Amino acid sequence: MAKGEQVEIKALGQTRIVPVQRKAVSAPSLWRRLLRSKSAIIGLVIILGITFVAVFAAQIAPYDPIKQSFIRQLRPPSASFPLGTDEFGRDILSRIIHGARWALLAGILADSIALVLGVTIGLIGGYYGGRVDALVVWFTDVMLAFPYLLLAMIVVAIFGPGIRNAMIAIGIVYMPQYARLVRGTVLSLKEKEFVEAARAIGASSFRIMFRHILPNCVAPIIVMATLAVGWAIVQTAGLSFLGLGAQHPMPEWGAMLAGGRNYMLSAWWIATFPGLAIVVTVIGFNLLGDGLRDVLDPYLRGR
Amino acid sequence: MRKRVFTVLSLLVLASLVLGACGPAATPTKPPAQPTTAPTTAPVQPTAAPTTPPPTQPPAEKTLVIAIGADATFLDPESVMNNESGFVMSAIFDGLTKYKKGTSEPGPGLAERWDISPDGKVYTFYLRKGVKFHDGTPFNADAVIKELDRVKNPNNPYYVYKQEGVHSFADFTWGIVESYEKIDDYTVKITLKEPHAPFLASIAMVWSGIMSPAAVEKWGFDVNYHPVGTGPFKLVEWVRNDHITLEANKDYWGGAPKVDKLIYRVVPESSVRLLKLEQGEVHILADVDPEDYERIKANPELKLLEQPGLTINGIALICDAKPWDDVRVRQAVNYAVNKEEMNKYLYKDAAVTAATGMPPILMGYPKDLQPYPYDPEKAKQLLAEAGYPNGFKYKLLCYENPRGYNPVGIKMAVAVQEYLKQVGIELELQTLEWGTFLATRRRADNKDLGMVGWSGDNGDPDNFLWEMFSTDNIPVGNTAHYSNPKLDEILRKARVVTDPDERAKLYEEASRIIHDDAPWLFINHTKHVRAIRANVEGFALNPLQMFWYMEDVDLK
Repeated sequence: MAKGEQVEIKALGQTRIVPVQRKAVSAPSLWRRLLRSKSAIIGLVIILGITFVAVFAAQIAPYDPIKQSFIRQLRPPSASFPLGTDEFGRDILSRIIHGARWALLAGILADSIALVLGVTIGLIGGYYGGRVDALVVWFTDVMLAFPYLLLAMIVVAIFGPGIRNAMIAIGIVYMPQYARLVRGTVLSLKEKEFVEAARAIGASSFRIMFRHILPNCVAPIIVMATLAVGWAIVQTAGLSFLGLGAQHPMPEWGAMLAGGRNYMLSAWWIATFPGLAIVVTVIGFNLLGDGLRDVLDPYLRGR
Repeated sequence: MRKRVFTVLSLLVLASLVLGACGPAATPTKPPAQPTTAPTTAPVQPTAAPTTPPPTQPPAEKTLVIAIGADATFLDPESVMNNESGFVMSAIFDGLTKYKKGTSEPGPGLAERWDISPDGKVYTFYLRKGVKFHDGTPFNADAVIKELDRVKNPNNPYYVYKQEGVHSFADFTWGIVESYEKIDDYTVKITLKEPHAPFLASIAMVWSGIMSPAAVEKWGFDVNYHPVGTGPFKLVEWVRNDHITLEANKDYWGGAPKVDKLIYRVVPESSVRLLKLEQGEVHILADVDPEDYERIKANPELKLLEQPGLTINGIALICDAKPWDDVRVRQAVNYAVNKEEMNKYLYKDAAVTAATGMPPILMGYPKDLQPYPYDPEKAKQLLAEAGYPNGFKYKLLCYENPRGYNPVGIKMAVAVQEYLKQVGIELELQTLEWGTFLATRRRADNKDLGMVGWSGDNGDPDNFLWEMFSTDNIPVGNTAHYSNPKLDEILRKARVVTDPDERAKLYEEASRIIHDDAPWLFINHTKHVRAIRANVEGFALNPLQMFWYMEDVDLK
């Protein structure tokens, strides 16, 4: 995983050599081209659908997601329980609907943490170079050397299990990806004329970094951010699956998957539907991310 | 483009996970049972190198395979106290006494008979003659004395407590021993500090198995990986987290085993264990998920064995912390939980509701003692009287995975959480890894409630009530921090009295006190359940859950 990512990021970073002029691509034209991509539209529809479900979960869900009732335990999918019930008699559909909130929250929160920290570190390292840069590179290399799930488990072990800490852990683990991406882009940008011009008129380093260089890194960041939401959802669910994330009786997809694991032979619906929910959501973010990259990547444009 | 390839790949992996989930259910046809020798010749995982090359097998060899949920840790009886290690060691070792088949009553083992002095302090054991350890060392009084020296004498180079982080039962079993001496080659005298009624039962435990003194000298503490006993089977191979292979000891004093090999195979997932049993890859399941009982009962090729368990399962209430220091609050939660419903739907009828701190199959259990009935109104009333009409919030520490005394794991706590919510008590569940869970709960300053349970070690009430409810055992055994001087006095007396009737009366009284004081939210006593293939003969359960008398088991 990490290896494929690195190669990809480098390629993304190098492509940024072309659009030195800031207004190379206007927003409306981007939007139009994005909507020409079928996969991006599918992704967008999925994401909008899940967002709608998450926002109105309380109104849509037919049952209380954590209310137990042993007499209706392990019912297969039927008219009254479209996706069946689990071993505590809880409605799976209602749990999946409420779980959408946690999935989206996990995706967005973890991704935001990674983005803010990673972009800042990458920007500083790339811009100042020298020892600062060496430190940033060393730091990201060390983090990338660990298997990501192991690193996340270490973070959770330090802060204690729980969905919030799992989200933070995933954010921290993903941070070096952003740092690398941004640093690579900044390295090529800071030698450009517009940066030199800004420096010549006496702009501060802070201003140059955030007003002149950062806006030129936005396109690859957007692509990475979209793809990373899906990644973060899977990883947070993974931590919950291992019992390090969501705690009982929270309706979280990863935890539901773990709970249903022992029922695969007798009640397949308990694990299957949360698993499908994760798959569909991640497909949504990946399709949109791919679509965005096609639009924003000048090498692919026009093919 | 590589990104897209990766995306597709990752989706495929996820999809296969999900489809895998549907697979077995969608295809109800069972594959035909495979020849039993096939799986044992399968190559071992390349990452885990076998200590010895797999020997070639003649076709007629009988191999019995037992599936266990986790690997053994150590195999020196005196240096370990987890079930999986016990499962294996019970086929390798014998103690001075041995539980009679299918019971928790001690009978002759490596000692053929014994005398007890009138004051109950001096035990004279007459040892079985002609017994040899697997390495050829003769079993005699010297072997017993050397074994005792290993657990009693801190100056012995192989003193078991010299091992770092060791979990030993030695103090529990042998702590009461004051001195030991050899009378002649086949007679040993053991003197106790005070009369101790459970002694004969304790030395029958798997943790009191006697190790070859030559092996201890040869391996030192590494005897943990090279166990040598006198039992019906001897160790030939141990591949970590994969399997442990034992071979029949044809010279066993109790009769030669009927099968040639006994393999303990580590299979962590309960659904995978069941599939392996159905396909004939394994013959005995050491642990069975209650969800699978129906499926096993419906299959004519399989048998579900069960007997009342020597277990207790519940939640420890912290008796020295508010609001649990008020007995009305403790009783209220006992009324608030519908234990019968849990037994039926969660434990699939393989459990009986608990009323006090020990299971009903033990001597001294008051037969007329009834569990707290399910009565949420009464619970609310008691809470109101105690000053908590609107309930309160509290934290409950949980372990996730099934345990011998609780085959549903954390689901027990999830169900309790819902019942208590109905009477206004909000429990916040926190899951901890097993080691952390124990360490946290055993701290003297711990104020969080915790899931708690116990599987009997020696079949004596003392092993339940003294261990978990005496003031002396706060905070490690008695994690509820429950202290009642009157109870302590009764329990102490019951330890030294040797008359069974008098002991029974004392334990009856103790059980009633513990019921009324309700230091736990008593849930249930789960049954001891194992699944076997129908062609396994001569296999008997015993209340201590170990694999004794494996020499009698045959494959047809």
